[in-house]
Amino acid sequence: MHPLRGTLRGGAAALSLALVAAAPAGAQGFAVFGQGGYFSMTAADSAKAVFDSSGGPTFGGGLSYGIGRHFYVEGAFRQFSKEGERVFVASAGSPVFKLGFPLEARLRPVYGTVGYRFPLGKSAFVPYVGVGAGSTSYREESTVAGETKTENRSKGSFHGLVGIEYGRGHLRFAAEGVYTTVPDAIGVGGVSKVYGEDDLGGFVAQAKLIVSLKKR
Amino acid sequence: MRVLQWALVSASLAAAPFITVAGAADLVKVAGRPRATTPPAAAFRPGEVIVQFKESVAGDRGRVERALKEGRVESARAGFVSGRYLASLIPGDSVAEAVSRLSAIPEVDFAEPNGIVRKSQASTFAPNDTFYRFQWNLKLLGAERTWAIQKGKPEVVVAILDTGIAYEDFGPYRKAPDFAGTVFVPGFDFVNDDAHANDDEYHGTHVASTVAEATNNGVGVAGFAFGCGLMPVKVLDAAGDGTFFDVAQGIEFATDYQRDGQNPVKVINLSLGGPGSSESVNRAIDKAFARGVVVVASSGNDGEGTISYPASNSKVMAVGGVDGRKERAPYSNFGRELSVVAPGGNCLRDDDDDRVADCVFQQMPDPDAVDLGRYDTFCYCGLDGTSMAAPHVAALAALLVSQGITDPAAVRAAIEQNAEPLGGAAEGARNDTFGHGLVRPAASLSGLGLNDGPER
Repeated sequence: MHPLRGTLRGGAAALSLALVAAAPAGAQGFAVFGQGGYFSMTAADSAKAVFDSSGGPTFGGGLSYGIGRHFYVEGAFRQFSKEGERVFVASAGSPVFKLGFPLEARLRPVYGTVGYRFPLGKSAFVPYVGVGAGSTSYREESTVAGETKTENRSKGSFHGLVGIEYGRGHLRFAAEGVYTTVPDAIGVGGVSKVYGEDDLGGFVAQAKLIVSLKKR
Repeated sequence: MRVLQWALVSASLAAAPFITVAGAADLVKVAGRPRATTPPAAAFRPGEVIVQFKESVAGDRGRVERALKEGRVESARAGFVSGRYLASLIPGDSVAEAVSRLSAIPEVDFAEPNGIVRKSQASTFAPNDTFYRFQWNLKLLGAERTWAIQKGKPEVVVAILDTGIAYEDFGPYRKAPDFAGTVFVPGFDFVNDDAHANDDEYHGTHVASTVAEATNNGVGVAGFAFGCGLMPVKVLDAAGDGTFFDVAQGIEFATDYQRDGQNPVKVINLSLGGPGSSESVNRAIDKAFARGVVVVASSGNDGEGTISYPASNSKVMAVGGVDGRKERAPYSNFGRELSVVAPGGNCLRDDDDDRVADCVFQQMPDPDAVDLGRYDTFCYCGLDGTSMAAPHVAALAALLVSQGITDPAAVRAAIEQNAEPLGGAAEGARNDTFGHGLVRPAASLSGLGLNDGPER
């Protein structure tokens, strides 16, 4: 598993560099964007036990760079945080008992994407797809009777996305769906161990507001 | 059925500092010298004084420096507020004298010691009960951290099926003094068929006290789930003997009890047992389990590899006893049905080196008075046996229910999964000598985060 992951990550980085280097200077263009949407965790049972739901709002932003008509690269971050409480679960499938000790978890993925656009003639709509990799930091903090327990960890992540962009001019909008995977990030202790869930990834449905520095 | 009582050892703590430990076979006197009390820590930082200058001089650096020099201050650090300084005194200078000296300087508005504060939420709870220091058993379980998390709720009741409890003034019986404030719900005496389940021996009162003796009242010793309620159910006679018929009736009484349309009895403690088994008792246990009641029983005091009945029933948590070293007590029965172990004590040892035998000390009717037919004299006495171990687990079960774990199977899992493995067992594994190991109450109560395990 690990050598393959290393190869994917290295490959994605090499590809993005190659595309930037090969792009004709006149076709390059920067854009900044803000993004917000809904994140649904793959570790659904664990999240439902602790947070009562497996998802919630997420927001972030980033910088993208267009290369010619079709390719783009982007770097972005998102943040997802949720409050819940510590629980007891004897085993997967058994009832969840809430214990009243507050818990807050925060996910912060930072990632890069290499994408390909499909311009539709003169239409203002541009579908696109992308893949990428990054790093997701996870912080969990809970307080039991005056003692605060904090856990911090960071793991590599991978994602693929599809979306559609709308607009001409400097201001554009996009809607996209992103599937992320952050393997071996949890499952060491807590309810994620009980449920055998180790992936901190999930599905993100989000909207983007893009401000292009170059009019398209 | 007989009372599980491997060694009766009583200790009168009423007139400390001497504690008399009397064994069944021989008499031993142990001088229990209370430790010197620790003086309270200083309430302020030594060598530091807060100095506030008057508004009129706060901005005049020269006058401030002259005034501090006059006050014989070694150095001073300016605060965020104009004219406020944290002054460091010359080594050996008294804070009180410096405050007085600085306050007398005309430019100074006021001077005061630099008091110490700390977070107001306690992460431990240390009770002030007189003889709490002899309760090695509670220390072994991390009781002070446990109590910071959960002390028990009065609406959660533990039924004590035993020789009765000294819970009321009735006829010749007197309420044990350290039950003042303990919540009792009505029980029943199945030996004498009346509603007054008073203790005409001492065993039941001792067991009940381990669960919910009044705590932090400056008297006696502590109970482990002292915020919870108790139900006295007498199923053993004055000799400590009982029958399956009465035990089954006692379990059903506790299971069927209703108050305001609900049954507050969430835990039944059975510090009793014997050979054989009973369909009547089995059915009563099934009913209790189905109604959400945790049933805890002692494993037996024969020191052999057979768990007594009803502890051997699969729906009952069988509890063995360990000493202060976390070693299996020599009397403690073991076997495949053993769930966990808890402090049962060993009155022939003093592993915490406090010069008091490592019995489990709780209040109970004075055995000498009971022998004379009197039930109005009490002592803080030491006993050992799996009878003493079981109520620690019953108390923990009550704490877990108070915290929100309301299903008997989940309570059992929370206790077993978080127990400290002993005898070379790996984390999460069990063996027949210690079951899942020594209960770890704080770990059981703290539960699980998304990826964060229990408090260990």
